[in-house]
Amino acid sequence: MGEYRSSDDDYDYDYDYYDDDDEVDFVDDDENAAELEAAVEPEIPPNSCPSSKVITKESLLAAQMEDLIRVMDLLSLKEQHARTLLIHYRWDVEKVLAVLVEYGKERLFAKAGLTIVETDDVSSSQVSSSYCCNICFDDVSLEEITTMDCGHYFCNSCWTEHFIVKINEGQSRRITCMEHKCNAICDESKIRCLVRARNSDLADKFDRFMLESYIEDNKRVKWCPSVPHCGNAIRIEVDELREVECACGLQFCFRCSYEAHSPCSCYMWDLWSKKCQDESETVNYIAVHTKHCPKCQKLVEKNGGCNLVSCICGQPFCWLCGAATGSDHTWTSIAGHSCGRYKEDREKETESAKRSLERYIHYYSRYEAHRDSSKLESKMKETMQDNIKILEECSTASSKDFVWLFNGVDRLFRSRRVLAYSYPFAYYMFDGDLFADEMTKGEREMKQNLFEDQQQQFEANIEKLSSFLDEKFHLYNEDEIKDLKLRVIALSATTDNLCRNLYECIETDLLGSLKHSVHKIAPYNTNGIEKASLPSYQDT
Amino acid sequence: MIDFSRVQKELQECSKDIEASGIKVTPVSDNLVHLTGIIPGPVGTPYEGGTFRLDITLPDGYPFEPPKMHFVTKVWHPNISSQSGAICLDILKDQWSPALTLKTALLSVQALLSAPAPDDPQDAVVAQQYLKDHQTFLSTARYWTESFAKTSSLGVEEKVQKLVEMGFPESQVRSTLEIVGGDENMALEKLLSS
Repeated sequence: MGEYRSSDDDYDYDYDYYDDDDEVDFVDDDENAAELEAAVEPEIPPNSCPSSKVITKESLLAAQMEDLIRVMDLLSLKEQHARTLLIHYRWDVEKVLAVLVEYGKERLFAKAGLTIVETDDVSSSQVSSSYCCNICFDDVSLEEITTMDCGHYFCNSCWTEHFIVKINEGQSRRITCMEHKCNAICDESKIRCLVRARNSDLADKFDRFMLESYIEDNKRVKWCPSVPHCGNAIRIEVDELREVECACGLQFCFRCSYEAHSPCSCYMWDLWSKKCQDESETVNYIAVHTKHCPKCQKLVEKNGGCNLVSCICGQPFCWLCGAATGSDHTWTSIAGHSCGRYKEDREKETESAKRSLERYIHYYSRYEAHRDSSKLESKMKETMQDNIKILEECSTASSKDFVWLFNGVDRLFRSRRVLAYSYPFAYYMFDGDLFADEMTKGEREMKQNLFEDQQQQFEANIEKLSSFLDEKFHLYNEDEIKDLKLRVIALSATTDNLCRNLYECIETDLLGSLKHSVHKIAPYNTNGIEKASLPSYQDT
Repeated sequence: MIDFSRVQKELQECSKDIEASGIKVTPVSDNLVHLTGIIPGPVGTPYEGGTFRLDITLPDGYPFEPPKMHFVTKVWHPNISSQSGAICLDILKDQWSPALTLKTALLSVQALLSAPAPDDPQDAVVAQQYLKDHQTFLSTARYWTESFAKTSSLGVEEKVQKLVEMGFPESQVRSTLEIVGGDENMALEKLLSS
């Protein structure tokens, strides 16, 4: 721990993010910066083993084979049997092992509809040269009969018909035997062979369905939700909530497949995105400012005057309770009509609708503002590139010397994103409804203060970082650039630290104390959302 | 495409042991797509003594897709809609197997009459009554059987007589009456249009 004060500036930076052993000794400005840079912005993530992988169209087969081979070796199975097993157990090899240990091989297979019997072919067990198929009731020769692993045999033409119907029904991965109450899954090689003879397009479709099972029936693999679809899927190695970046650049939440939204929980994000999309706030507006005519049901907006309103259809009604009235009235009362108690309730309702709209607008405008600046700042990199070129032309500086600048911009982007999403989080966290039975009003206010203090500090630092990065450094002399470098690096570190603290506060103090833990957020990653690694076995 | 030769064989097979099972399947039209099934109400149930008529339509994929069946005769049963006659039975949906036939399917429907599954109801009102007021359920079911599923032989002869007097041949009158389940007006309509 130490404190650093730059020579010509008053910026104070706390270095308490050095909670590990790498204590930094400050020798002089230059080395200082270099070390800081290395410590704060490591270019390669420390854990070299990536926890998520991209599966491209080309690598899908290889990825699937990896798991298949494990199961084939383990249980000495044929490929198609291993696949049947894995499809049933959602490609979870550990689960297959667990069931094997607990219930034994027989139950493991039976549950998946896998029957491996050393069946004699019909040809050896039947003496007669022809056989009556139990489906079409036709007599067929033995060559036209196929026996499945479960021992049931029917004629090829009936099998083919059955497979075609099932493939078209989208059930390729679980085509069972035709016999009534037989749950055995049909051998995919026999399906493929019979269907191909009749309709090769459908056979291709079947193959694709089988291949894509690895993605669709697999809890560790998800399609990238990009639109238009990039064709990739992502596989995660550790079964926990996380956010990932596909090779196409899209960052998404692995659990809900929506855009990366931490520190909002998936549930909160779902509520928020729906709220922003649909017109629920408009609906609120309508509740506050309009009423249905009791006669023609059209919405009527009051444009002034007293509480006796008349619709364009001519029907007069009471604005307070919405009931039809006569047209005879004074400024304060309507003849033969009174709705006093009602009025109070109505006013309360209107009040609360107004308040909730104002509250939403408060959070929404901040959320939008940070997303907007994020968009503007993304142009920053281009401007910087141009400015660096100017510097390169007039001095010995090279773009390599400005890595710190780009690291600073990356930090700004990441922090800005988190800040934007922290607003919808706060909207739901401190909203009376969602956690009404989880905390009292007092607790909520206390927690809200705690959170907002951190959020505001974080926000202030982000704005400061943004202003540093916006400086016209291409007009600076060498010393001034050196100074800017130090300021950016140090402030980046502080921001990173504040961001981590904000996540911690949310994870432990706010969400961690809840009884119903439906709200989980992806952990903070100082290097931003992890990029899924591209397959290395692309050529195999 | 429907496997008509199989349907043809099924019909032959079914008519062989009509005495034993009491289950009858007859084509409504010539093309074997539209059929009528008859099942006797199981003994020892409120449906005993009734004759229940079902409308059967074969889908293009038959027998690889299940036949579509619904009751034409009104039935008071938790798994059969008292309004539309729709049947809630697994083998007519996802548990269908091409190895089943129209006859076995009708046998299953008959078995359903003996053993209702009120926890998986098609008709919520009937199911509620079955569970909460079983006596009323039994008497309602019996009353419905009496009113809708029984045609006294005397009644049939009277109807035949009436229609023959209108100038239709007796054999045609009898077969038509059978197809429409004894409904005189429907039989007349059919005779006029044929």
